Amino acid sequence: MSQIRQLPTHGQGHCLCGAIRFEIDGPMRDVVVCHCGQCRRQHGSPPGYTQAAWEHVRLAGEEALTWYRSSEKARRGFCRICGSSLFWEPIGTGRVSIAAGSLDSPTGLKTIRHIFVADKGDYYQIQDGLEQLSGSMLTASRA
Amino acid sequence: MSGPGKNTAPEATGHCLCGAVRYRVFAPLRPASACHCTQCRRQHGALGIYSGGLPVESVVIEGTEHLRWYQSSAAARRGFCGHCGSKLFWQPMDQRSIDIAVGSLDQPTGLSLARHIFVADKGDYYEIVDDLPKSPGSKAA
Repeated sequence: MSQIRQLPTHGQGHCLCGAIRFEIDGPMRDVVVCHCGQCRRQHGSPPGYTQAAWEHVRLAGEEALTWYRSSEKARRGFCRICGSSLFWEPIGTGRVSIAAGSLDSPTGLKTIRHIFVADKGDYYQIQDGLEQLSGSMLTASRA
Repeated sequence: MSGPGKNTAPEATGHCLCGAVRYRVFAPLRPASACHCTQCRRQHGALGIYSGGLPVESVVIEGTEHLRWYQSSAAARRGFCGHCGSKLFWQPMDQRSIDIAVGSLDQPTGLSLARHIFVADKGDYYEIVDDLPKSPGSKAA
């Protein structure tokens, strides 16, 4: 039986220039790495995301936050000053994915899964032995 | 004007997520480095994976009115699309060369990851499991 690990219930982070800061007071999901073409284009590499309920996230410096509607279902939040990618929001769910790179260390999080591996870039390999899904967690088809 | 002629085929092409900024590369891409420094991880929200050291005249950028530069240190600036936030470029302040964020390249890139740099600043939420060379700081370190 695997040991049950307590997931963090507090986290904080900021963009590179510090204009946008956030704090999470509530359960945080472990990190899921997305290999879809949209994520790779916007981040410039495959991003890992934690996730939380919006109601548990407190934002400061929101005036620097720019949202880009990347699909019918989601929008991406970045800092207009330094360009840091911070958030991916599945619209209408009340939840927000937070780019793990923006979190202050230690995060207490672990990477648990890769998604959209069918869209992976050709310039790297996934070798960590973690679960891989060809699409999203909703479609849940194994690669 | 020096640089690529308009009839020359580019070695590589790429663009930001919304397509406002596009570029063509007229020099062979160099193997990619994965940068684990906190600046890259904050700005990308992920690792910074770059094909670096391209002569600046070999990269032709369109849509520069949408390209924003953020000077992240005394030594370098980072270019991103002001409309969609895509990370595109890292450039030393002398502006003689430019690094390209590999995620912005059109597939296939034909590239492979060659090394990890600044692994001393790695995040705690992932492991580096491959056998590629690793430097605690920059590749010069």
